[in-house]
Amino acid sequence: MSSSSTAPSNPSNPDPIPAPPSSTDASSSSSPSRHLPVVIIVIGMAGSGKTSFIQRLYAHLHAKGDAAYCINLDPAVSSVPFPANIDIRDTVNYKEVMKQYNLGPNGGILTSLNLFTTKFDQVLGLVEKRAPNLKYIILDTPGQIEIFTWSASGQIVAEALAASYPTVVAYVVDTPRTTQPSTFMANMLYACSILYKTRLPFLLLFSKTDVVSHDYALDWLQDYESYQRALARDTSYSASLANSMCLVLEEFYRNLRVAGVSAVTGQGVDGFLEEVEEGRKEYESDYRPYLAKLAEERRVREEKRKQDQVSRLMKDLRVSGTASGSSTGAAGKGKSATKPSAPAASRGGRAMVAGGRRQMWAEEDEMDVEEEARWGAGGAVEDDDDEYDD
Amino acid sequence: MGKHAVMVMGPAGSGKSTCCRTLMTHCEATGRSVHLVNLDPAAENFEYQPSIDIRELVPLDDVMDELGYGPNGGLVYCMEYLIDNIEWLDEELQSYDDDYLILDCPGQIELYTHIPVMKRLVSHMQRLNYSICGVYIIDSQFIEDTAKFFAGVLSATSAMVQLEVPHINVMSKMDLLGERAESAEMERYLEPDPGLLLEDANVTMRPRFYRLNEALVKLIEEFNMVQFVPLNIEHEDSVAYLLAQIDNAMQYGEDLEPKEPKDELTGNYDDE
Repeated sequence: MSSSSTAPSNPSNPDPIPAPPSSTDASSSSSPSRHLPVVIIVIGMAGSGKTSFIQRLYAHLHAKGDAAYCINLDPAVSSVPFPANIDIRDTVNYKEVMKQYNLGPNGGILTSLNLFTTKFDQVLGLVEKRAPNLKYIILDTPGQIEIFTWSASGQIVAEALAASYPTVVAYVVDTPRTTQPSTFMANMLYACSILYKTRLPFLLLFSKTDVVSHDYALDWLQDYESYQRALARDTSYSASLANSMCLVLEEFYRNLRVAGVSAVTGQGVDGFLEEVEEGRKEYESDYRPYLAKLAEERRVREEKRKQDQVSRLMKDLRVSGTASGSSTGAAGKGKSATKPSAPAASRGGRAMVAGGRRQMWAEEDEMDVEEEARWGAGGAVEDDDDEYDD
Repeated sequence: MGKHAVMVMGPAGSGKSTCCRTLMTHCEATGRSVHLVNLDPAAENFEYQPSIDIRELVPLDDVMDELGYGPNGGLVYCMEYLIDNIEWLDEELQSYDDDYLILDCPGQIELYTHIPVMKRLVSHMQRLNYSICGVYIIDSQFIEDTAKFFAGVLSATSAMVQLEVPHINVMSKMDLLGERAESAEMERYLEPDPGLLLEDANVTMRPRFYRLNEALVKLIEEFNMVQFVPLNIEHEDSVAYLLAQIDNAMQYGEDLEPKEPKDELTGNYDDE
């Protein structure tokens, strides 16, 4: 809602955490006005007008000379009316997935998205290369809303993008179909559910405003009582429940940005972009610190995992040390190998580890799976050490 | 006379069909006459052959092939076709008078909110004197923290306000949670304590949402209809408990005539 400007987003917000993407853009980060593109994830129910909206938005941005990068995540769409830079259909053929895995259309779409998500790091790589010249990155999601909102891959995609770029979720509401107060409530509850699911800056987008103006919705959003009156006429649901839900929604509206857009006439796109800009500010002031905290926690966890792995390797080496005297030395040096400050020792340790492994192979013809797995873990540590070699 | 129907709803992949199957097995084991009704045109193979199947009326594949619709449009077309030809359903239902029906519904939320097909279906069945209970399934794997729990509550509520039938929320796949199923964490969601929930939510959400959290917690507190029933398909007790909840919601058994025992199985009334 408009009141969101009162939120604690001071203009003098703390310096954004520097350079979330990897080191490749170090050159661009040196320029003072480093600019990251804003990711707009367009989510909406089937037929609410997501794709048409993106088409209009793209045309609008193009006319203004703002570069936008479009990613289509809907494997089942027959044609994409906007120039999609990355299209899931180029990677996965969902009909083929359906056939091969013997799935229905729903399962096919979900599996296609899952398959695509396994390669999402490459998508991020592509995006990163283009990022310095971009203003917006626009994501079209599958028609079935819950395939994005209630799946692991949807979450992974959203989190991966939000980790690197300011991200705004645009929830598209089919304005003409939502004029019933109870439908409106169901839709808003679902929107609220997505807010909780993604926790990203959230924007409510009323589509098809050329058919029905979204004024009625604005009125309901702003005036709690007028909505209650409308609801009382419409629904047979218990009044107290309806009232309680209204209260929830009233709080929801408080933090909400709203825009109404017509994909046919192009009316309201500028308003939408303004709201996106607000969303970006919210991301910078609210979300990024929160994200940094999460990243820190993850880093600590990762560190611990690595330590565990190394110590496990050391233990294994010590066990094998009883077989051959030389590998005890390897264990001793191997310990120091984990420290980046001693690259030479690391190299030596690695060679010893490899030697120890050969010996093991020679001594025991048969290795059981568990042991192999352990060696696999050892290999991972070796790889890590490679970094320090150069 | 009792006409009872359980509508099993939930997002794709949340375990609707598995839940239906489990309920079927349980009902059959306790000697209840039960039938599966498939309303999902996109459904795949069933372990139980559905007694009534929308795919016999209108198969989604044909619609997609012949009319050139995508999966979404095709689904909507199928459901609207069903509503337009509701007599077909009436006819089919007649053969199963007085039986317990389990309806496997399509998962798409659009069918409940934007396009009022499910609502029309429900009111049609209510006119036929069915007592209906909605079961909304959420995958417990997605309930990682309080914010996600709220998301689940809200999407369940979103379907609930549209259908206006007694409603039970189910948290499925509890068997896959392993140790977490027993942990205090899950218990917190199954029997929510308002104070604790609020505290947790405020940790995971940013400060500007504190008031929203508060309002939601109040909703959960006041209406225990947003509570969740855990379902572990590996434990018979858990299935029985869910069935008892459903029966209770639509007053199954209260108006049941004592049946002539068909065979030695007569335990229709209690599920324990």
